[in-house]
Amino acid sequence: MVGRSRRWAWIFLSLPLGTYTAVVAGPTLYSFYFSLTDWNILKGSHKFIGFANFTRLFHDSEFWQAFTNTAFWTVAGLIASLVFGFALAFGLSRTTWGSRLIKSMFFMPLALSLVVVGFIWFWLYRLDFGLIDMTLRHLGFPHLVQDWLANPRTALPSVIIAWTWQQISLSMIIFLAGLTAVPAELFEAAQVDGARLPAQIRHVIIPSIGPAISVVISLALINALKSFDIVYVMTQGGPYGKTETLSVMTYREAFKKYDFGYSSATAVVLFVMTILIIGGYTYISKRGSDERS
Amino acid sequence: MTDQAKGHLLGRRSLKIASFALAAVLVSSVFQPASASSTATGNIQVEHYFSGDLGKKAFDQIFPACEKSTGVTIKAPTIAHEAFKDAILVQLAGGNPPDMFSYWAGAKTQSLIDAGQIGSIDDVWASAGLDKVIPKSISASASTYGGKKFLIPFDYHYVGMFYNPAVMAKVGIKTMPTTWPQLLAVAYKLKAKGIAPFALGSKNRWPAQFWFDYILLRTAGPAYRAKLMAGQASYSDPQVVAAFAQWKTLFTKGFFNTSPNGIDWTDAADQVSSGKAAMTLMGTWVTGYWDGKGLKAGTNYNFFPFPKIKAGVAQAALGPVDGWVMSSKAQNAPGAKAMLECLAGASAQKIMALTQGALAPNTTTDLSAQNSVMRAAAKQVAGSAAFVFNYDLATPPAASDIGLDALVHFINTPADAVKILAKAQTDISATFKK
Amino acid sequence: MSVLDTKNGRMPFRRSDTSAVSKGSSRVSWLMLALALLFLIPALGVFLTSFRTDTDISKHGIWALSGNLTVDNYMAMWNSSSVRIYMRNSFLVTIPATLISVTFGSLSGYVLAKLRPRGSGFLSIFLISGLFIPPQILLIPLFQLFNKVHLYDTLWPMIIVHSGYGISLCTLVMKNFFAHVPDELVEAALVDGASEPRILRQVVLPLSRPALGALATLQFTFIWNDFLYPLIFARSETAQTVMVGILNLGGQYSTAYGSQAALSIVASLPTVVVFIIFQKQFIAGLTTGAVKG
Repeated sequence: MVGRSRRWAWIFLSLPLGTYTAVVAGPTLYSFYFSLTDWNILKGSHKFIGFANFTRLFHDSEFWQAFTNTAFWTVAGLIASLVFGFALAFGLSRTTWGSRLIKSMFFMPLALSLVVVGFIWFWLYRLDFGLIDMTLRHLGFPHLVQDWLANPRTALPSVIIAWTWQQISLSMIIFLAGLTAVPAELFEAAQVDGARLPAQIRHVIIPSIGPAISVVISLALINALKSFDIVYVMTQGGPYGKTETLSVMTYREAFKKYDFGYSSATAVVLFVMTILIIGGYTYISKRGSDERS
Repeated sequence: MTDQAKGHLLGRRSLKIASFALAAVLVSSVFQPASASSTATGNIQVEHYFSGDLGKKAFDQIFPACEKSTGVTIKAPTIAHEAFKDAILVQLAGGNPPDMFSYWAGAKTQSLIDAGQIGSIDDVWASAGLDKVIPKSISASASTYGGKKFLIPFDYHYVGMFYNPAVMAKVGIKTMPTTWPQLLAVAYKLKAKGIAPFALGSKNRWPAQFWFDYILLRTAGPAYRAKLMAGQASYSDPQVVAAFAQWKTLFTKGFFNTSPNGIDWTDAADQVSSGKAAMTLMGTWVTGYWDGKGLKAGTNYNFFPFPKIKAGVAQAALGPVDGWVMSSKAQNAPGAKAMLECLAGASAQKIMALTQGALAPNTTTDLSAQNSVMRAAAKQVAGSAAFVFNYDLATPPAASDIGLDALVHFINTPADAVKILAKAQTDISATFKK
Repeated sequence: MSVLDTKNGRMPFRRSDTSAVSKGSSRVSWLMLALALLFLIPALGVFLTSFRTDTDISKHGIWALSGNLTVDNYMAMWNSSSVRIYMRNSFLVTIPATLISVTFGSLSGYVLAKLRPRGSGFLSIFLISGLFIPPQILLIPLFQLFNKVHLYDTLWPMIIVHSGYGISLCTLVMKNFFAHVPDELVEAALVDGASEPRILRQVVLPLSRPALGALATLQFTFIWNDFLYPLIFARSETAQTVMVGILNLGGQYSTAYGSQAALSIVASLPTVVVFIIFQKQFIAGLTTGAVKG
């Protein structure tokens, strides 16, 4: 029986494994190799140069700008996902009527593509004609009117906020699923104890939605590190690199500057960063849960 | 739950029907590679970046006409402008090139020649007698590289100071400025009336370059600028620093609209047509934009050439030239060459110029149907000492990418000009060294 | 627990009615409804834009209440051959890629959860780690590959890449799901002499319809909304999907805010409709692992 199953196991696995290797694993390895080459298709060069691309990266101010932006994005996105996602989910879980409708409204951004989300927010941030500037002027703050996507100080936060709009929907769903599974007795017991709401949240609810928090953190980290579409649509990385992320830089080096080797090196750094952050997080949270149990 | 899902997305019958329909569609023509090269004589693969409604309209007439006259069949996919930019070089390097394609004359074409991607078309040039119909100023800069012809100039644009005549009349200006002090005087008058003298929309970076181009051309001259573009001069040279200082005065006096980096060039054009601003330094394509909004050439908009700044400097005209090049690995070189000859002709260039609102390099093109402003622009180019390319076409892509960022940075904080230039020089010189 | 930790994952299909936080108040409902409306205000801009002419937009912006409303942009969409091609392409990519990735994920998920051949621990990590691979690292090698085999600028690259890249998520979800199918069911069928493919088809798959539905909904949304792959692997109109098509509407020397907004709405309809019909499955798919099993 076991022998027969094993044969079938490999037959079943062959197609998924083959496709995945050809489309994901193989190309990833190739990129590692490409990152060690000087490969500029404009110049027609293609030769092995060891770690020179990485040395160049670490002296490239554009890279550090993109790196800092990505790091800021990740941290800001994570905090916003956790705080707003939980607050909204908690509020929703305490509604007495209309929860289906309200839930659907909050979920709607998730059905939209980031390209569309970018267009949506463009009409809020636009100079003079945007909703934000119009509101500011109406409320008597004309000195605050500006183009939110062109001002080097506000551009990155503005793009991140647009992205967060969708990300909050995602984390809210997950928190909501976590909250609805918390056993009622726990919460009531705490209420009987006379604990106040913040205390209840801290001591009763948060500890019992650990898995949801983990998923929210993982997804926020992954999505933040991947962020590309919305930057491409809203700012193309501008003004002068102030909203460029590592994903955008990878794309620009390859398809705007035709420096394939250098682009591969950027992609490899992004990949290693992702693995380190997610791997590190998984390790820490696993150790945490092992200690608890 | 199971019951609910039953029969929805993955019900067995619907799955079967779906997969059958899918298989039928998969084999349909949609999936044939658009770039499959054909060896059949008389077939050529053409790619171009003239996207949008106007481009489509022009080539719906040009290609059939040229197919008829040459006997060559054209296969040309519709490609968006940005997609073309991203893809063409990568495609060439991948060894899967079209027979011929449109390209920007100047440093970009030079880089293709350096990489061995495009072939010389000296024979086309000679057999079509293009020396007689293409002005020397254009053929020298746009077509000739290292003594050989590589590019057929197809259309071009001229960059000038476009203005709203009604606004100028409102502040009592009847003759347009020809010198820098006159320009400043006009600007003061406009500013006093609460009108922004200059509208600039540099959100997509490139509209900012024309100011840098013209000020440098009018102060340091075309010869110095050519050296800078080729990496033989420095962005921290006194010439460049002085040009930026000159530009900076316009910002410190508040002559530009607020937040140029926040708006598109079309928004800037709107500011001019609505009277919020008076002038915008832009290419002749802006006339097409205004015509589309129902504005009248001469009455609602007009232009004057960028004023003289320094005596004794040759007065160059500025603009981009679009052209056609032939891939060095063209499957059907004779077919491509026949097509190039047709596209160099007056009838093809007439359609292009009239539909796109562009100028025609071929001097025998009958453009009497074009409006007065376009005719005046063509005259201006013909009378100029030289025709040079705007910044992002004059210097290699890797350098212009950094330079354009520097321009946007400068517009944001003009006071940092010297610092910005020093940094740009460091980064740009690195791209020339590699 | 995190996404990588698949042992305890479970599809939270059952919603607990005695949830801890289900006790709420009507005031909270009102508050949440108000917040939901506020949350959706940004999306209003795209609707307003889609009913304005470009001339009107350049004069008044979109938030001003002056100006005429028009359906011209939608009529232009309806009559545009390009838009029809973009929409058709999106369906031609999304439907097969969704089916293939879900099928492959089911196969590998079943093997890894139930048949467990030697090395399945490693294989699980290998297949699921694709979740953390930034898509940018795949672009250059895949671009080279598709260019070489003359598939560049067709729909095939998108179908193939999404089928492969989707395997990670599908494997994760299906493996978690199958882990909760009692072994006895499978073993009983084996004793009856059923072959592995028959067990999969007749015993396991009918049980897993909810999971398959959830996954298909998710994959459909992800693939439909993707922007990066069509941006890189297609260049001509005949092979581009609608998300890139939205950007293409703005030409080299023109803007098209009105028609871009109209197409944004039209392009969002399929995912919004899927989302409304399959909301439960969608959420179930997203919240895998958010609740402890």
